[in-house]
Amino acid sequence: MSEVIQRDTMLSYITGSVESSAESVAIRAINERGREDLEKTPFPTRKDEDWRFVDLKSITKSQFCKLEEANAADVGDISEHYLPEAMNCRLVFVNGVYNEELSSVEDLPNNVIVGNLAANADNNSVKEHLGTITNYDDDVFAPFNDAAFTDGAFIYVPEETVVRTPIHILNVFTDAEKAFYATPRLLYVGEMFSKSTIIEEHIGLADNQYLNVPVTEFKMFTGSNVHHARIQRDSKNASHVSRPIAILDKNAEYHSYTICLGAKLFRNDPRVIQNAEEVNFTVDGLVLIDGNQIADTHSIMDHRFAHAGSHQLHKVVVNDSAHSVFNGKIFVAKDAQKIDSFQENRNLLLSENGKVNTKPQLEIFADDVLCSHGATIGQLQDEEVFYLQSRGLTEQKSRELLVYAFALESVESMEVESVEKLLLSEVIEYTNRDNK
Amino acid sequence: MLEIKNLHASVEGEDIEILKGVNLKVNAGEIHAIMGPNGSGKSTLAKVVSGHPEYEVTQGEILFNGEDITELDADERAHMGLFLAFQYPVEVPGITNKTLLREAYNTIARANDREELDPLEFEDYITEKLDVIEMKDQFLSRSINTGFSGGEKKKNEIFQMAVLNPVLSFLDETDSGLDIDALKVVSDGVNKIANSENAIVMITHYQRLLNYIKPDHVHVMMAGKLIKSGGFELAEELEANGYDALEKELVLNGEAQ
Repeated sequence: MSEVIQRDTMLSYITGSVESSAESVAIRAINERGREDLEKTPFPTRKDEDWRFVDLKSITKSQFCKLEEANAADVGDISEHYLPEAMNCRLVFVNGVYNEELSSVEDLPNNVIVGNLAANADNNSVKEHLGTITNYDDDVFAPFNDAAFTDGAFIYVPEETVVRTPIHILNVFTDAEKAFYATPRLLYVGEMFSKSTIIEEHIGLADNQYLNVPVTEFKMFTGSNVHHARIQRDSKNASHVSRPIAILDKNAEYHSYTICLGAKLFRNDPRVIQNAEEVNFTVDGLVLIDGNQIADTHSIMDHRFAHAGSHQLHKVVVNDSAHSVFNGKIFVAKDAQKIDSFQENRNLLLSENGKVNTKPQLEIFADDVLCSHGATIGQLQDEEVFYLQSRGLTEQKSRELLVYAFALESVESMEVESVEKLLLSEVIEYTNRDNK
Repeated sequence: MLEIKNLHASVEGEDIEILKGVNLKVNAGEIHAIMGPNGSGKSTLAKVVSGHPEYEVTQGEILFNGEDITELDADERAHMGLFLAFQYPVEVPGITNKTLLREAYNTIARANDREELDPLEFEDYITEKLDVIEMKDQFLSRSINTGFSGGEKKKNEIFQMAVLNPVLSFLDETDSGLDIDALKVVSDGVNKIANSENAIVMITHYQRLLNYIKPDHVHVMMAGKLIKSGGFELAEELEANGYDALEKELVLNGEAQ
């Protein structure tokens, strides 16, 4: 007797069907491919190794509708979220939809493109690279974005061009009557020896429930260089599942820094793929969670050729009943000699009920490499608190300073002053919540 | 200034008593030295007086300028002018000396209705204090004790003392781990800070430090009690004959338990 068990797919949690309304033929082709993948791929459960620590209830106990059916609130004035350094270099997406009025792109070097995908669908780089970099096996989230996106951000930096102004990709989410889904998309193409700084932000303006599934693709040509900061401040009831991926040609440098503050469920799977010799990359993270938040990072640093330098510092602060998961994979292929890779996961537990799962995973098939990894889980040391307190600082201030110091290193990687200031005030607010 | 009466203390949640009835009186302008073998309770006494939460006072009281401070938190005691120079100063990566000291200075100022210093004023104030321990400006921008040598850590304690200008300071084994040059710098620093308004209690195992900072009173601590007090000659006697000899003498006189 044979029995076919029908497992749920991503579509089980979506109201209605996911149909493409994209005008561009190229985008519609990706939509079609995404839909096919979605229909045949079962939704993950805790029996899947990559999902065993994560409670996906905040997705599976809900139904998410199209934005049009959600009766979402107007965006209002969001100028407090603009970065002074990127005043004229900002793309705004409201609930995943490009908002030209709030965006401002001026004074860019010649031939640099910072715009929306739909308007640039005929650009050769879009046609060539969009949807070709994402590479997640047995995944439902990247295909979901593939199936549903109709627009997104497109950044193109030509050869030998440096964009000195940080480029701000601001995704805001408004309050809504129904839980909706959004599929923000970002394609970055850096030509030979180009350079830029990208600040990708996700901000929930209210505390409503929504599902944010962004995909970012970075195509880095020879000698190109990107500093990619990602700041996740989604609503405390949102679910955010990210698929950021970068592919690096010879001498390319890609440095990413993901800051997780918001969302009820945050799952981030950054991947960096080495496509030629001699590359450098960073996959850093800072997670500050409390309440019942879950933050899960599953990263892959994929060394396929010789001479790469890569490092990952993943710092986590957990309070209340929050739960952090970290699974950092370092792959080194057989012929990828002279790799220098370093991974560290440091966790600071502030409460009895907080939970941390950490699993470094090294798969090395080359014999002349230098790879190290480490994970620590600690609490604030009483002796540290007493030391500061004996100097006159209150216990609360002492704890605040110690958490601040723990997070500082990651914040200082932002390289954009207003972002650093913003994050430091977020850190202080986080430690003050601790006291309530 | 400080009056400790029949102080008994044990580790919080444990039954083992470490301080077993300490009595000590310290007046303004005085320098005291508490000497004793390892494990006699010297460091515990310093921590209990500073308000370390690890210890529980089971009996007796600590009066500071007439006020009972036995139940106060460490920061409240610091606001009143108590200071502890740690035996093992704690490393705090990510927070600079300057950040800590400005926060500490202004918190203490606020608690005493004194004027706070803004960053520029504080910069001038703190730079002046660097002379006390012969350190360079860079010292201010370094993370607290992080990557410091043993000597630098101890100098940093005295520097903090100079900046916070406490009324009563406990120096817990400040001489341990110091080479002769560092010892001179540290003791010079302490001597510059000492005046007729404040008081210092040094805790040490050896007489070495006392050659540089001359105490008015010397106390010997054994098994959780101050068993003998005297002038500087008591320190010399200990140096010559050791703690064992003193213990025997006390037993012979029927003074020790």
